[in-house]
Parts: sequence; structure tokens; C-alpha cells
Amino acid sequence: MHLTQFEINPARRGAQKLLGSPQAMHAAVLAGFPGDDVGRGRILWRVDSGPRHTYLYVSSVRRPDLTHLVEQAGWPTTATWSTGDLSGLLDSLAVGQEWGFRLTANPTRSTRVGDRERSQRVGCVTAEHQLDWFLTRVARWGIRIPTSGGSPSVMVNRRDVRSFRRQDDRVTLAMATFDGRLEVVDPDLLRAAMVDGIGPAKAYGCGLLTLAPLGRA
Amino acid sequence: MLRLSGPLQSWGVSSRFVRRTTESQPSKSGVVGLLAAATGRRRTDPIEDLLTLRFGVRVDQPGRLVRDFQTARTVDGARSMPLSYRFYLADAAFLAVVEGENDFIDQLDDALRHPVFPLYLGRRSCPPAGPLTLGTRRGASVADVLGTEPWRAAPWWQRTFRSPTVTLETVVDAEPGAADGATVADLPISFDPERRLYGLRTVERGTVTVANPTFVEHAPDDDPHQPMAALGGI
Repeated sequence: MHLTQFEINPARRGAQKLLGSPQAMHAAVLAGFPGDDVGRGRILWRVDSGPRHTYLYVSSVRRPDLTHLVEQAGWPTTATWSTGDLSGLLDSLAVGQEWGFRLTANPTRSTRVGDRERSQRVGCVTAEHQLDWFLTRVARWGIRIPTSGGSPSVMVNRRDVRSFRRQDDRVTLAMATFDGRLEVVDPDLLRAAMVDGIGPAKAYGCGLLTLAPLGRA
Repeated sequence: MLRLSGPLQSWGVSSRFVRRTTESQPSKSGVVGLLAAATGRRRTDPIEDLLTLRFGVRVDQPGRLVRDFQTARTVDGARSMPLSYRFYLADAAFLAVVEGENDFIDQLDDALRHPVFPLYLGRRSCPPAGPLTLGTRRGASVADVLGTEPWRAAPWWQRTFRSPTVTLETVVDAEPGAADGATVADLPISFDPERRLYGLRTVERGTVTVANPTFVEHAPDDDPHQPMAALGGI
């Protein structure tokens, strides 16, 4: 497994197109892999936009080649991307470890809409629902969220309702970014969650759980 | 101590005829009128005791000037009334302070909590948002209160100031015999509708610096979440 960090140059037109449409970004990320790689394992990605840097993270089985992204949305003469080996981290996961984490997900619930026969998946739009969605599922990802001062040490840092075109349809996703601290309970489940992704809309920048050393936050 | 805030307020001092202006901070006549209404005085009742109060305001949130172009007709619709412009301060918040004898101030504070007549911010159409009085403070002068009371602006406004302290404008009654200051026709002598009378009052403008409660030490510029730092062999 590999984790790739690519810094996006938001001043470029190409970058604006990619940041504006998860559909376009999805295509651009997949274009970083030759045809027969795409079927091999889940390719997950996420955009972290901060005040000074906008990063694209991609997790994949094979190393990507993001030359086309550098040309469209990067700094072609100075910067490229960096790919690290995620397997080492995945192998070293052990019960009781604490990590800082970030997850951008598409929290949803199923509900009956109108008098339709089948229930339908709808996005959770309020921060409370989104946090609820997250906290009721942590056990199946093999993690526990420690509490500090009586409340779980996780927060919904960004919430977005993204709406974009996909061929002739319109896709609307409620996205939430969770930041916090986690404790590893079951390394196997966590490994699976990190490799396969979490929740719906994995093609559209959701579901990639990344870990980072604690201490700087 | 009063917090004057509401969707609209209007504090006219020098309006004539169809152009009803507002000052950019509450007027003494407006606040004295408000206190008079709270204590249940009618327009023609004496207000001499209220004029012994020393008065000062602090501009906690300046708000925005809005203009209302107003048309009106007589009740039967036959004739149109003069067109008028009315000016308001939208979304402003002020700290107004009156200083006087302890018993009198307590009485006024009580009256503001149980007003006899409806209270409004300069004009009948401008109801206050929330309780007006912030209580009383013994032994403090107007300047003390303006300099030490916490910033009473709305949180959303406070957040637009990314600094640990803010400097707020103040307008205070000048000390008797003060050398400089501006003179405004803002000393109500009588609110009698038949014969309204205002004297002149000298004010001193200044600034005070108070803490910004929403200020947080600026977050690190770099994202604290650095997933690449957890990996080996980049």
C-alpha cells in the first residue's frame, strides 16, 4: 500500500476545475494509474485544504504517476509529489496505540422517502448527525475514540454539501471531515478500514482515513 | 449601565422637517428620554433630576447607517404626506452609562427592569434586543466603567477583529470648564410636545481599549495533521 501526497496549486485553472468537481478529481486520480492497476485494490483520495497548503492524498496499492496532475494543477518546474509506503504503518498497528486521525466521509442514513417501497440513502447534514454517524461506527473500524473532559476527542472540522454533474445526472453529497484522536482496538479491522475505505462515496474524496503522529495538534 | 442594541436604532440630535438623521452613537436626550419613560414620566413632567446625571457612551459595535425613504398618506388616502428620509443605525450595539447619586441610580435601574412606558432606542419603531440594563456599579465614574466593562458587541462582530484587544470610541460629557470638546444641541430641557427645548452640551470624544474575548492565539499556519509523517521510506 502507498500513500501519496500531492500539493495542489490552487491558482491554476486546472486546479480549480479539479477542486470544483469531485467527479473531475476522481478521473484525474485514476489517470495516475495504468489501466490494469485500477482494478487492483481500492484507490482512495482526499483533499485537505488549509490556509496555506492544499494537499491531495491518495492511497493505493501501486505507486501512482501524477505527472499529468503536476502539469495541470501543480508546479511543473519545481514540485512533484511524494509517495510513502503505507504497509509499514499498517503492519505496525498494535492494540493500544494512539494516533491523530483525519477522515473525510459521506455520512448517510437510510430512510423511507415519500411512499416509495424501498428506503433510500440520504446524507446526514447536521454536525450532530454526522458526529453520531461516526461515533456509532468506530467499533467496526477497530478503533475507540478516547474521551477528554467528558466528550469524545473528535470533532467535525469541515462540513460541505457538494453538488456536481456526473454525465446527465446531478450528484449531491453531504461531506464531513472528522479530526481527532483514536486508540487502536483491533488492528485487523482498522487495517481493513484504511485499505478499503469508510462509508459511501469513496470515488468522490470520501472514506480515506489517515493517521498522523500525535503531539503537534 | 445600559446595553443599547437592536435591529435598528436612531438617535437624532439636529433633525429638522423631513430629513430625520441619526448620530452615530446614542444621544443624551435619547437616553434621558428612555429613563424618563421607564420611570413613567409624561412628556410634560419635569426632568431636572435626570439632567444632573453624567452621561457617556461607548461604541461597541458601530453598525451600519441605513436610510428609509418614507411615503405616507392621510388615513382616507386623499392626500399624501411629505416625503421623508429617516436614517437608522442597523445592527449597532452601544454601552451607555449614567452616573449619579446611588439611590437615584438604583431607582433608575429598577425602573429599566419594570418600565412604565414601552422603551425604545431613539424611535418608537426601534425596540431593544434584550434587557437594557446591565446593572449598576458603585463608586465608579463614567470613564471607569467605559474603560473596564467587557466588550458588548455581538460575537460575530467580535470575531471579525483578529486581535487581542480592540479600541472603541467613546463620547462622554465634558468636565465642567474643560478646554476643548464639541458642542451639541443635546441637553433636553423639556420633552413637552408643544414646546420641545434642548440646551447645549459639551462632549469629549476619546477611545478606550478593551479585551477581545473571541481572540485566540492564532492557529499554526501548517495543518497539524501530517499523515506523511507516520510513514517510513518516502
